[in-house]
Amino acid sequence: MIDDSRFIRCHTCEAVNYDNIEEELLCRRCKCQIHQPLYISYHKTWAYLITAIILYIPANLYPILITKKFGIEKASTILGGIIHLWEAGSYPIALIILVASVFVPLLKFIFILYLLISTKYNLHSSKVDKHKLFYITEAIGPWSMIDVFVVIILSVLIHFSGVQIFPGVGATAFALMVFFTMLSALSFDTKLIKKEDI
Amino acid sequence: MLTDKELDNFIICKKCNTLHKKIPLHQGGKALCSKCNTFIYKRDNNMLEKSLALVVTALISLSVAFTFTIITININGLSKSLSLLSLFDVLLEHHQYIVGIMFLFLTVLFPFMMLSSMFFVLFFIKIEKYGYAIKRLLILLSHIQHWNMLDIFFISLLVAMVKLFDYAKIEFGVSFLALLLTLILELMVTKNINFDTLWQKYNNIYGEDNDR
Repeated sequence: MIDDSRFIRCHTCEAVNYDNIEEELLCRRCKCQIHQPLYISYHKTWAYLITAIILYIPANLYPILITKKFGIEKASTILGGIIHLWEAGSYPIALIILVASVFVPLLKFIFILYLLISTKYNLHSSKVDKHKLFYITEAIGPWSMIDVFVVIILSVLIHFSGVQIFPGVGATAFALMVFFTMLSALSFDTKLIKKEDI
Repeated sequence: MLTDKELDNFIICKKCNTLHKKIPLHQGGKALCSKCNTFIYKRDNNMLEKSLALVVTALISLSVAFTFTIITININGLSKSLSLLSLFDVLLEHHQYIVGIMFLFLTVLFPFMMLSSMFFVLFFIKIEKYGYAIKRLLILLSHIQHWNMLDIFFISLLVAMVKLFDYAKIEFGVSFLALLLTLILELMVTKNINFDTLWQKYNNIYGEDNDR
């Protein structure tokens, strides 16, 4: 029987490699870096995560969508838009937007925070579960972009001389927020799960 | 210590990180993870040819999707159409540069790069030439795969359409169907293609001198 913990999977080419904990490691097949020294990956993940959390604030406070009707501007934030949709009776869409642009980013923050803290302080939980959690975090990442794309599409279609819709500051902040959470998830090293202390 | 050849007989589940030893399968057979039941690999002798055909079709329909109108709306006689060109026009007009650049990369450049580099990888492996390019492209592919957001763009399109449904008459353009077709083909390609096998094929052809 071969010991599982001595092997690591290369993210780039999926090859099975011998693991060595301390140093940086190059894949035997694609010669790509499998992991940097662990503390770099750990701090990088924190840095991206904090950037994303900071950007989450303007993304929710500033209007994501501005409607201009015959010269009168009306701004709406993400939550305002969802409430408006709910009141108008389009429940499915309100739910989609609520899940994609409020819950998914929050869930990602919580997951990455949990992974970082639990690996740092060596909380006793299943490693397989942590790997699954990381996999889910990576998979749900891009879906929060829905809201930004919807705003872009609406701003193209509703572009008449009398009525116009255009993206506000919130859209930029939101797009950047998604970008940084994805970077944060990508820079998290699954090796951190395996290794007990940094 | 095991040699590289022996290490190639192992595979690690991408979801739960369990080490498995590969077992020989019959044609068309699938291997699932013993712990979490995730699909790991399958045996398909025609993987290369099948993927190549799908990728070429996907590339053609992608270029159609990017050229023509996606949808046209009609509000009381005023009509507006959505195509890639009009999209960037409007974004530039509103000075949304950051969002515009992100959109350009996520839904135009990355899907196109992904499909075209898949095409070149499969083609070069098929004719067994240009080993260096195969390696570079395979590495590139694994990096840009996370950033392809064409499917999310399509879902957003549907959401936007439902929002506009009450006020406007919506007509579908050619690109809408092409976009749908591209997504289906892309899904089929990603299900069909196996990067582990591609890397092994690359190693078999250029096994000795791959240190460049």
